[in-house]
Amino acid sequence: MLMLDPRLEIISTILEYLPVQDLCRFARVSKQLQEMVYDDSRWVHKLKLMGVWNETEARRRFEDAMRRRRTMQAAKAEEERKALQNGAKTPNLGLATGPPPGVSTITEGVDLMNLAPLTPIGAPRLSIVDPGSLLKVLPSIKSVRGFARHEFGRIYTALGPLYFDLAKAKTHTDPVVFRIYRDPEQQAQVLAQLKVFAQCDTAHGWMDRLERLNLMIGIFENAALREFEGGYETGDIDGRMRRYANVLILLNGGQACVQLFVQKHPVMFERGELGSPMDSFDKSMPGSFSLEPSLLFFTRLSALLHEQADVIDRVFPATVNVMIPFLERVAEDVISEFVTPILDEAHDRDIEQYLEAVAGIYHRLLEFAKTIKVTKGSGERFAEDTMKIMGRVFEAHVDLYLQDELDYFRKKCETEVDSWEKKILEEDAAAESFFMSNINREADKRDFLSTFKKVILMPVSVIPSPFSAKSTPAAETKPAETSSYANSDTLSVQETLNASRPGTPMTLGQATPGPPPTTELAAKAAIMNSRLEGIRSLFSLEVALNLVHSAKSSLERAALFATAGGQTGEEAREQCEQIFIALLRVLGPRHVKAGFDKAVEHLSKYNPREITEHSQPGVAPLVTFLELVNVGDLIQQMIDVFYEQELVAAKLTDPNDFLNPAAKEKKRFEQMLDERVAAGLNMGIDVLIDEVDHLFAITQQTTDFNPGAIGDASLRDFDIGPTKTAIRVIEVVSSHTRLLTGSTDKNVLDVFNQEVGVRLFASLCKHIKRQRISVDGAIKLISDLNHYHSYITTLKIKPLVPYFNALRELSQIYLIDPSHAKQMATVIADPNRFGGIFRVEEVYEYATRREDWYRVKKEVERAMYGIGCCIS
Amino acid sequence: MSEIKLLSSDQATITVEKSVAERSILIKNMLEDVGEVTEAIPIPNVNENVLKKVIEWCEHHKGDPPAQADDDSDSRKKSSDIDEWDQKFMQVDQEMLFEIILAANYLDIKPLLDVGCKTVANMIKGKSPEEIRKTFNIQNDFTPDEEEQIRRENEWAEDR
Repeated sequence: MLMLDPRLEIISTILEYLPVQDLCRFARVSKQLQEMVYDDSRWVHKLKLMGVWNETEARRRFEDAMRRRRTMQAAKAEEERKALQNGAKTPNLGLATGPPPGVSTITEGVDLMNLAPLTPIGAPRLSIVDPGSLLKVLPSIKSVRGFARHEFGRIYTALGPLYFDLAKAKTHTDPVVFRIYRDPEQQAQVLAQLKVFAQCDTAHGWMDRLERLNLMIGIFENAALREFEGGYETGDIDGRMRRYANVLILLNGGQACVQLFVQKHPVMFERGELGSPMDSFDKSMPGSFSLEPSLLFFTRLSALLHEQADVIDRVFPATVNVMIPFLERVAEDVISEFVTPILDEAHDRDIEQYLEAVAGIYHRLLEFAKTIKVTKGSGERFAEDTMKIMGRVFEAHVDLYLQDELDYFRKKCETEVDSWEKKILEEDAAAESFFMSNINREADKRDFLSTFKKVILMPVSVIPSPFSAKSTPAAETKPAETSSYANSDTLSVQETLNASRPGTPMTLGQATPGPPPTTELAAKAAIMNSRLEGIRSLFSLEVALNLVHSAKSSLERAALFATAGGQTGEEAREQCEQIFIALLRVLGPRHVKAGFDKAVEHLSKYNPREITEHSQPGVAPLVTFLELVNVGDLIQQMIDVFYEQELVAAKLTDPNDFLNPAAKEKKRFEQMLDERVAAGLNMGIDVLIDEVDHLFAITQQTTDFNPGAIGDASLRDFDIGPTKTAIRVIEVVSSHTRLLTGSTDKNVLDVFNQEVGVRLFASLCKHIKRQRISVDGAIKLISDLNHYHSYITTLKIKPLVPYFNALRELSQIYLIDPSHAKQMATVIADPNRFGGIFRVEEVYEYATRREDWYRVKKEVERAMYGIGCCIS
Repeated sequence: MSEIKLLSSDQATITVEKSVAERSILIKNMLEDVGEVTEAIPIPNVNENVLKKVIEWCEHHKGDPPAQADDDSDSRKKSSDIDEWDQKFMQVDQEMLFEIILAANYLDIKPLLDVGCKTVANMIKGKSPEEIRKTFNIQNDFTPDEEEQIRRENEWAEDR
């Protein structure tokens, strides 16, 4: 009633719930059922459950068989064709239905029983007869389509009886497994196989059977573990430990025994012997912190691990990775327990100590991780894994640390700048005199700046290859210079001048050799520190250097964590950028900008008439400002070097990423500096020209261009050469423009120089119009104007040259003898002569400054405008 | 709670809660396709007695989580134990048992089908081929020689 076709599905479902024994009995019921039971997929499924079916292997075998069959068929077809040609009557049917046995076993699928009798399975109780062969039954299984039932039979014959026997057993002595196999290794192997075999038991009651099996395995495992432990306690490394480790690995991979091994190690209980965390404090003196105890701790631990690696190699085979779990445990129970109290204590005591402790201990930890010996089972990624484990020790601290580092750095910067500002405020009352003293030391400073420029230019040229630079040029030249300038403040001006001359720094003895600079930055820092005592009223390079220094140490500490990789590394990298940004923010707006603003303010207040002392060829606030530009430029270059070397070279930031906050902040800083410089220069030009005007006004004697004015011929100066005033003016102008060379952008400098030139020209014109010039004095004027002209040509600014050419031409009109009024008129009326700079009216105006103008006026005007125009 | 009517093969109308009836994937899909129906849904392959029995099962199991649709395919699940109520429920004569299984198959009530098959599997455990034939009313189409050969082929699975 049930056996109609659509019901087959139901029968098939029922079959799935049957134990293997009943399933096979079903095959004997009828042909149809036999077919269903023998269905290959049913048995493949069972093999898959045990994880011994390899689909790719099966496919490969199948394809091999297909290929063989095709060749065979091709041969057949050929034969057939020949046979047909020969006229022999070969029935096609016979060929098609009777392929050679070798082919059909594979391709005919399920129906292969006739061709492949299950001979090996024929012998019952195989397991008892040959217990040894059973140990390898699972690995010997082949994945062949159409043979799944056959292969399953092999497994079932081997393991089935043991399995069901075990499932029925009441106590652990009952199961036949333990009676057939006396060897613990063999027992472990069989039990492991039974565990796999249990996976294919889907019939009713499988849970109970599996539970019992697990129970038995548990009992066995415990017994083996006890043996292992016994071996551990008696130190029987190569005997019991090794043997039972092997047993347990055979049974289930040996995780339990690895764990036991890891847990039992005395270092977990006696970590105090490696060193106490509190040793790090108050050792040399109360409140002090030392990394020595940590070093000692890690050295001891390293020795211990070295020993342990040997033991691991002796006990465990290469297939099991014991070192990593062991390290994990050590990291968690020993290292963390040691490190955490130190850090907590340090954090409670002092932030700076804490920061040092974190970086210091982390560094030691990494060093320590490198010393750990590789065991044969520790795998290819051992080094990576160790680093990860060690990183985990610090995971809990990193966040706090990075935050503290940044906060600490910010605070330190703020205090540094604050204290400096306070100091300056106190000195503010003395500021005026201070500026005056600056003037007196101008030569010193200028020389100092030139040295400075030289020093600055050098590192800039080596920046592209900071690595090579570190070794050769920097190391050789810098220390010498450092030492020679270290005491430059106490040296006389003359000595400093010597020292600053390029090429001679080596001549000075190494009077006070500082500590050898470790990096280029340090070398530069050393030089500048000693060099820049002079300028500190507006902003201090020393402060900047200190800031950069602390940024560097903070960065170096934080950068340690950036190498840790993963999220921690990423966070550390970001924090490094943050530190850099913080540095720029404090240095930029807080310090440098304030200084520039103050300098510009000083400039704007400058009034040359209020200052009585004009013997120096410099305008104090302007000089200060220009020096400031230099220092600002220096700081910017310093920041640049710092950025290149500490951040980019250390791969803490990506210079090509224009959205990168560090790069953006750096740009902003540079922009701010440029703006300040531009604003200051603008003001500076005004001040400079004011000064020049003032000089004209007070130093130019009436007798300079009009020797006859006072009527005393003996006082006449027939020197051919520029007047004092001209020399002074040029000195003032050139000394200021020179200060800028190399410190600002070439374009800015050109614009500045041009503006200075044009304004100087205007001042000169005004100045000449105020003078009375005699024919004798004209020679002086000409030499003055020549002097100006030659200065202007050194500026190499083309547009300026025509102006001064015109001036030179103009001076000719004073040289003309009063009797040659006509010629004078020609000169005045010749616009080409002055290159279009002066109009005729202007030249006429200049001509009126002639000392004898009223005498020649008539003549000249007549010559110019013709006879008859004379007003009577 | 809406109710629907089912019409058995012997023309009996049975009223049942919609949620109960929807344990049958067949009916559930049908209702989804058709929408609201007032007429009785004909169940042509199942007679009144069996249908009532099936509905009894569905009512008891209406709180069960719906069967996952994707659990056919390869994952032939391990046989879990039949719960007590189901065991009692299945204590019917053999003919009824098969009817229920068939109905569960037709109505697509997977859990009921499983329970039925498990019951049958338990029933025929340890039986000889002859007994199995009797139980399922199957004709032996083997010659004695053939049967003997198959017996030898499967000797490995026999208990010893």
